Amino acid sequence: MRGRWRGVKYDFDWSVLWSGESGGWLLQGILTTLEISALAWLLAVALGILSGAMRTVPFAPLRAIATFYVEFFRNVPILVWMFFWYFGVPPLLPHAIRDWLFNHGAEFWAGMFALGVYHGARMSEVIRSGIQSIPKTQFEASMAMGLTVWQAYWLVIVPVALRLIVPPATNESLNLLKNSSVALTISVAELTFQTRQIETYTAKAIEALTAGTLIYLVLCVSIAIIMARIERRFAIPGLIARVGAG
Amino acid sequence: MKRMLAGLLSLAMVLSLSAPAFAETTLEKINRTGVLTIGTRTGSPPFAFVNKQNEWVGFSIDLVEQAIAPAISKKLGKPVKVEKKESTPATRIPLLASNAVDLIAGTMTDTRPRRESVDFTLTFFVTGAQFLVKKGSPIKGIQNIAGKRIAAQQGSTNERIIRERVPTAQLRVFPDQPGAFQALAQGQVDAYTNDGVQLAGLIAKAPNPADWHIVGDFYSYEPYGMAMRKNESDFRNLANNGLMEAIESGKYFELYDKWFGPKGEVPYPLTTENKRFMELQVVPK
Amino acid sequence: MLDFGVVLSNFKFLIVQGFLGVGSFGGGTLRLAIPAIVLGFLLGIFIGLARLANVAWIRFPATIYVEFFRGVPLVMVIFWFWFIIPQLLQLPIPEYGVALTAFVIFEAAYFGEIVRAGVQSVPRGQAEAATAVGLRGSQTLRFVVLPQALRNMIPSLVTQIIVLFKDTSLASIIGYVDLTKAAQIVNNREIRPFELYLFIAVVYWICTYSMSRYARRLERRLAHA
Repeated sequence: MRGRWRGVKYDFDWSVLWSGESGGWLLQGILTTLEISALAWLLAVALGILSGAMRTVPFAPLRAIATFYVEFFRNVPILVWMFFWYFGVPPLLPHAIRDWLFNHGAEFWAGMFALGVYHGARMSEVIRSGIQSIPKTQFEASMAMGLTVWQAYWLVIVPVALRLIVPPATNESLNLLKNSSVALTISVAELTFQTRQIETYTAKAIEALTAGTLIYLVLCVSIAIIMARIERRFAIPGLIARVGAG
Repeated sequence: MKRMLAGLLSLAMVLSLSAPAFAETTLEKINRTGVLTIGTRTGSPPFAFVNKQNEWVGFSIDLVEQAIAPAISKKLGKPVKVEKKESTPATRIPLLASNAVDLIAGTMTDTRPRRESVDFTLTFFVTGAQFLVKKGSPIKGIQNIAGKRIAAQQGSTNERIIRERVPTAQLRVFPDQPGAFQALAQGQVDAYTNDGVQLAGLIAKAPNPADWHIVGDFYSYEPYGMAMRKNESDFRNLANNGLMEAIESGKYFELYDKWFGPKGEVPYPLTTENKRFMELQVVPK
Repeated sequence: MLDFGVVLSNFKFLIVQGFLGVGSFGGGTLRLAIPAIVLGFLLGIFIGLARLANVAWIRFPATIYVEFFRGVPLVMVIFWFWFIIPQLLQLPIPEYGVALTAFVIFEAAYFGEIVRAGVQSVPRGQAEAATAVGLRGSQTLRFVVLPQALRNMIPSLVTQIIVLFKDTSLASIIGYVDLTKAAQIVNNREIRPFELYLFIAVVYWICTYSMSRYARRLERRLAHA
């Protein structure tokens, strides 16, 4: 196909996306992106819950650690964290761990760690503001109705909190997926890296970048649609008016 | 799916509406702006790198500033300023295509597939690919890298050759040379492959030069050229004339000595063979 | 083993060149971040209001715009503006222009959502009352709705400004010499990644943390006003 764009000649050749090794590279890129994002997401959620809980305990040093974690890690660019975890940290590790890492794709683990730790700090904020937005009266009312503390939490606070947290947490998870593209700077062969790879091999930048862009769009939009369905399915009528689903 | 398509369409609309679409040749552009923009490296000593004083210098940069820019300036009858931008093996062809730079003057190998996308000046340096390893490494050349972790730069000729010739090597591809070298320094990879002279440059600039070894025979032939957009023969002629005059007048060898001579940044003596090759590239006046 | 001397001996390059953008490399984190924030927010206001428009042909493109840019990574958008757009337009764009355009266009989608949510958070009665006392539509927007919306927006606005500020580090990918790139250049030579990247992490942190502290104070002050 030969295209003309206001006098600019460009020879489109979409076959570069599947001919040769390209198809395999793209597929591998998608898998790596999903893999690194899923693992980082688990780490982020765990760190988010842990640090969120630590910030509420009545023991100042723990609170300080959690606050430091959240405030420091979410306020520094993810790219800096990538370089830090990949180039900065390994030389300081004990020999055995370092050797294992280097034999098992250190760049993947460093990227996963950078993403997970960074987004964990952001998740923590999402969780905290979700819990804070539940009126105290909810808890008081459940106690007045004769529920035990445990029942009040399990039957009232947690279900409400989850519904409040899921929408912003979905957004945050999508941010994580999109930010995984920054891992290309430390040579993780994820989707953006592979589109660049196809481009360096074929010199067909438009085709490669279009493919990458569309794949991200499909991934993000489908996750958003699924989550919106789940939200609607579990919505408590009249409780939370969610303005405009993202 | 619908959202997606509509998104693309609207993007296309924005683009086509805003396109002023003027096409000028590289030489016209230089004449208009008085600036020759080159794409070069930040971490490839001694061709192009940022030195201790945080200045951006090197052999390739000198060649442009002292051989090519003067030739263009003479032709246009006005001073030409050289502006430097960073390019890497993965970005240099797109940067030319997008008009961000006019000339790639770094460490780019002239190859036949690349000539389908860009044009090259005459060859300004000749080298071949080897391996950089830590002292005492079992790797002695391309014959024993199977199964080993090998670093290369994304989009480089070396990456391609290793992928084709030794598919069992675990290739780690880095966007730029310093990243690959750091991975090697930390032991993340067993060897880093690049053109011999660049490896020599890395060693010369490394904190502990004695820790490193360059091993193996040249497993490829890497003639460096400067790349430009295709079908710009007037610009290409000027660049070539500049280089030829520099070889003829001895300026080229002076600069070679400055960077690669015994007292230079990276001692890499010019063989008589290579000297002759450079001279033979000069066509008569 | 650690040696923070490397930070001291390159302090001027990192801060004056990388952070402020004064020196032979151009560049600069602040020189990029400040216009990107201002322009991104301005474009965001238009997009946010367009998403609330009653007319479908204004609302629809704005919605597409927001959904598109929120569905792709910023890195991809940067590559588009770096490689493709100049080629299509036959217009060389310097990397400062590439970075600035990519940031403004990308972040405007997020700012737009914040503006929209802010405007929607103003009770309908406010606009109705304004109309009742005889204000025109544009006057209602300017004097009644937007000021209140702005106050409600401040927390998420500051969060987004901080995100953008951090995102400017991605300009280093295209060779723009910002703080991150400056650290990379020095590290390429000195190979002191831990010290250098920790140092710039602290510099970024000081900026973003003070922004969020200031915002919290502002929020409290406005809440009492």
